[in-house]
Amino acid sequence: MAIKVPKTLIIVPAYNEEVSIASTLNSLIKLKRNIKSLEICVVNDGSIDKTADIVASFDVVLLNLPMNLGIGGAVQTGYKYAYNHGYEIAVQFDADGQHNPNDFLELIKPIIKNEEDMVVGSRFLQKTSYRGSKTRRIGIYYFYLILKLLTNKSFTDPTSGYRAINRRVIRLFAHNYPKDYPEPEVLMHLNRKNMRIREVTANMAARQGGESSITFWKSVYYMGKVTLSILMQSIVKE
Amino acid sequence: MDITFFSFIIVCALFILVIESVRRGILETRDSIIWIFTCVLLGILSLSRGLLEFLADLLNIVYAPSLLFLFGLLSIIVMIFDLTKRISKLNNKVFVLTQEFALLKEEYQKQASNQRNKQT
Repeated sequence: MAIKVPKTLIIVPAYNEEVSIASTLNSLIKLKRNIKSLEICVVNDGSIDKTADIVASFDVVLLNLPMNLGIGGAVQTGYKYAYNHGYEIAVQFDADGQHNPNDFLELIKPIIKNEEDMVVGSRFLQKTSYRGSKTRRIGIYYFYLILKLLTNKSFTDPTSGYRAINRRVIRLFAHNYPKDYPEPEVLMHLNRKNMRIREVTANMAARQGGESSITFWKSVYYMGKVTLSILMQSIVKE
Repeated sequence: MDITFFSFIIVCALFILVIESVRRGILETRDSIIWIFTCVLLGILSLSRGLLEFLADLLNIVYAPSLLFLFGLLSIIVMIFDLTKRISKLNNKVFVLTQEFALLKEEYQKQASNQRNKQT
């Protein structure tokens, strides 16, 4: 490999993912064989199924939250681990098999070269094979517009959870990370801190196992909550 | 019995309840301050007709005792806001504790398995 990869942690938040976690971890362990400085950390967010047992049979770090904190709290636990153990790069990776390990190097390259502080894998930067439902894409476009309005920058995929960050941002996140539905809010937060953010193209599959947990009322709450927190983020006191 | 006297009795009962709760250690002194303050305020207002009517006049309230309800309502809003604020704070603390617990447990298990490896 042409570039040397510094100490990197892949954080996989998992809540009741017994169906897909094994195949996700298998693909990540394949990646780890090629990159020695890589470590995988699964944050089990108080799952009530066999997720923890399945993960325990793999050679990965397992953080078991005794109760469900939600995606933000789970991911932050991973960032705290990364911060405590001196990782240079942290990458968030979904447990449900949406994210593709082949995009991994593209994601961390700009950070290794110290060109960016955060790199987000985007489904919409170029045309990819991603086919989400129409309502979902309208939602994503809505956040794109809000962020464009407030930051004057284009984040084509503000809800993407496939992200890589450097040590500076790890430190920031270990101390302060939004709780539920954190993705769009974080972009606003980092932009305000003048962090460098770039998007790279990432291929994502539609979710592999189970049904999406987002019902109509939940998505109404989601839109409202995230809109409010983005707006708050623009006036918040540091 | 008119409404102001009736209110006074209720306020007195509430006051005794608050003091008794603090004495028994059910309610923290810090948390009782806002309750005691409310009780004293409502107690004074419900007893002194003159003061109540004077204030009602200032605010153009025709029926003076309804001012009592306004004060009661306002203090309830303040208290509930205070409670919501405190729940948020507690929520944050539980988050941190849960995360630290998971991190420490991982550390502990790693050490335990290292030790086992050494012994064998």
